Amino acid sequence: MASREPQFNQQVLVDTTPMPDHIPKVEEIGATSAPLYSAAYFIGDRCKPYNDDFMKCKDESNGRGELDCLKEGRKVTRCAASVIKDINTHCLKSFTAHWECLENNNHKLWECRAQEMKLNSCVFEKLGLKKEIPGTPENVVPVHLRPKQIYSDWPGRQY
Amino acid sequence: MGVPFEALLPFGIIIGSFTVGGAGLWAVRKWDNEGKMPRWNKDKWDRVMMERDLRITGTKRGQSSNHEAPKGFELSNPWKIEKRIF
Repeated sequence: MASREPQFNQQVLVDTTPMPDHIPKVEEIGATSAPLYSAAYFIGDRCKPYNDDFMKCKDESNGRGELDCLKEGRKVTRCAASVIKDINTHCLKSFTAHWECLENNNHKLWECRAQEMKLNSCVFEKLGLKKEIPGTPENVVPVHLRPKQIYSDWPGRQY
Repeated sequence: MGVPFEALLPFGIIIGSFTVGGAGLWAVRKWDNEGKMPRWNKDKWDRVMMERDLRITGTKRGQSSNHEAPKGFELSNPWKIEKRIF
């Protein structure tokens, strides 16, 4: 994503030429924004090594990362797809409840803590993945575990 | 001293017009967002992701939790192009 958007564009170009055969294929992820956002912390929990590996490769490839890091990128895609697939098979109900809540509330996590608690406990029981917000200090309750959310529409306890 | 009913007719028209207008706007908003609450305060990331959602599901606010993209999704990525200025 370039930082400067085209200003006067009247048209888009859709290039339907498939990737050349010497580049191995990978299944793209079919989850849309709300389910992806809902599953983001679990993807991060399981795929951290792959993601870090990919970012390190991009850092070290001097701007040729799109070409040189295809292998690492495929691992990232496959790992994220595996998490989505596992959540879909084991926690479909709470997952769906959470991302539908997100979609109805402008993708604000603090409006959907009740559904999120159910999803988190289900995913932890079935898959062993835990939501951890990186960089949370040791001595405070993480924001997703606090019963009161100061920005949410409902001012009382969320769950 | 009763108020003649002709004096109340304009109020009926005013209230009725506001009702029709409000209901129309509500219906248009509902239809535009496919029954969901509208998105607001979208940044560039949100816009890009909503465009991706459109390419996956085919509707503006549709969502899908499939782990596999539909066929041909990887080739439908649009590039924004513009004419060179100089």
